[in-house]
Amino acid sequence: MPASTVALQAAFVALLFLFVIWVARSSLRDLRRPDEQRWAGQAAPVGQERTGMHSVVGGAQAAVDPRLVVARAPGHAPGMEYAIGTGAVLGRGDQAEIRLEDLFASSRHARLTRQGALIVLEDLGSTNGTYLNEELVSGPQPLHQGDRVRIGDSEFTFVTG
Amino acid sequence: MSARNRELFGLIPASLLITAGFAAVFVQERPVVANASLTYGAAFLGLCLVAHLVIRWRLPDADPYLFPIVAVLASVGLVVIYRLDDTLAREQAQWFVVGLGFFIATIVVLRDYRVLERYRYVIASASILLLLLPRIPGLGAQVNGAYLGVRLGSITFQPAEFAKIGIIIFLASYLRDTRLLLVQRKIAGITVPRLKHLGPLLVVWGVAMLLLVFIRDLGSSLMFFGGFLAMVYVATNRLVFPIAGFSLFAVGAWFFASTVGHVSDRIDAWRHPFDAALYDKVGGSYQLAQSLFAQADGGVWGSGIGESLVKVGLPPDQAVLLPAAQTDLIYAVIVNELGLVGACALLLVYLLFVERGLRIAVLARDSFSKLLATGLATVVALQVFVIVGGVTKVIPLTGVTLPFVSYGGSSIVANFVIVALLLLVSDRARREARA
Repeated sequence: MPASTVALQAAFVALLFLFVIWVARSSLRDLRRPDEQRWAGQAAPVGQERTGMHSVVGGAQAAVDPRLVVARAPGHAPGMEYAIGTGAVLGRGDQAEIRLEDLFASSRHARLTRQGALIVLEDLGSTNGTYLNEELVSGPQPLHQGDRVRIGDSEFTFVTG
Repeated sequence: MSARNRELFGLIPASLLITAGFAAVFVQERPVVANASLTYGAAFLGLCLVAHLVIRWRLPDADPYLFPIVAVLASVGLVVIYRLDDTLAREQAQWFVVGLGFFIATIVVLRDYRVLERYRYVIASASILLLLLPRIPGLGAQVNGAYLGVRLGSITFQPAEFAKIGIIIFLASYLRDTRLLLVQRKIAGITVPRLKHLGPLLVVWGVAMLLLVFIRDLGSSLMFFGGFLAMVYVATNRLVFPIAGFSLFAVGAWFFASTVGHVSDRIDAWRHPFDAALYDKVGGSYQLAQSLFAQADGGVWGSGIGESLVKVGLPPDQAVLLPAAQTDLIYAVIVNELGLVGACALLLVYLLFVERGLRIAVLARDSFSKLLATGLATVVALQVFVIVGGVTKVIPLTGVTLPFVSYGGSSIVANFVIVALLLLVSDRARREARA
């Protein structure tokens, strides 16, 4: 085997390894970044949703000052905020903390409750259903920063901190 | 460095690989080193840059490492294929361009990939039809006892490569709806879904078994079914599903291995590759035994690019030492020429691909995206396992391609569509996570 082939082959394999190291190092850095950390935590089972698919880091990061921000809703100005505190009911009825003027909303449509560090969204057997990130909610679902909650034509964004 | 600049930076090693690899082959085969290898490297870089600009334009938040990983794999493939046969390499380069075309088209046309959910039953039926195409008389082509190819005019294509994408889209969408129903009932502490929820999943198992019988290919069947089980596991977090699934698969595979002649031949060749009678038999263990010899010959550091003995003598007295070296056995050629070190590097690159894919699934916010990314990443992982496992005698050897590396148009195009889908999911997930 001529020396040039040996050199080129060594360069070829070395390049492959350098590439692997570069991607692996950057991936590790990614994992340690706090803004992505939340999504990579251990499963904290919530309510009936014990499949752990939408896992969150339990305990450490309590939802500080959780709010629902109006994205679009009949009778509400976009950007308006509702503080959730320890919980709130969304609906068309008089008892609802967050009043919806939406023809598709039931009188007690959905409920937000605090469970430990989390705010959990639950549909209260409404006629038209509650959507979390455009998925129909069945059973209690934990909310994450930036999640979109939709009831009929009313849409909210969940924010904390 | 921003995500897109990191992606751009990652394309440099890929084009350097092409340059170094082609130069090594040139040195080996021609007395004069042509500077053509630099031209190839530059052309490759140019093509990747086009794709990179499209990603920059449409998917600014997508995962920055996935595309460079694919470029690196493709460049390794091109170098090894070029070393085997320069006509094939030219064709492969053309397929690479076609693949990039499909990649760009998928990204541009399918901006909101969630519309795919609406067409899930159409997609599922089309995929099953595609899988059965090779068995239609006059269309199908039997290669080494397996029915995988379809001949359309002058091109042969492998419908299973495209069917796998469709089936994953269908399963992601189906499991998104039913995953919570699957975990509702427990008997004696074990999750046992009701029959009506389990029915469709049993249908998938049936399809995997049909594949085994009709296409006669254990590899593809294992790939589909394994991908499916991974998705069910992610959707439900219940170990009982993969355990029950693999047991069912094992029972089915064992039954067909002992009854279908073609399958049992493969098993025999796998159990005893060095048996003299099997080695000499047509369709026996020759290919596997030669692959093992070639890998052992490579050693730790490899025999050098262009050094492995694929064919001996000149036509018409030519003896083929490594049958299907550019497709099934490309991994054996890589181990022979780059050694254990080079092969490990290649497997690590695949590992990173799968890591990025699963990471996209972790970041994704809605169930459909999560399941889609999981399924796509797993199916690529399983495909690598099936072919590398086959070539190294871990499982019976079957003819699936090594993604992005093996010669084969369908494989390149289908895998580029998979990467495009992963990047689409990733763009949305990372944008939402940042907001």
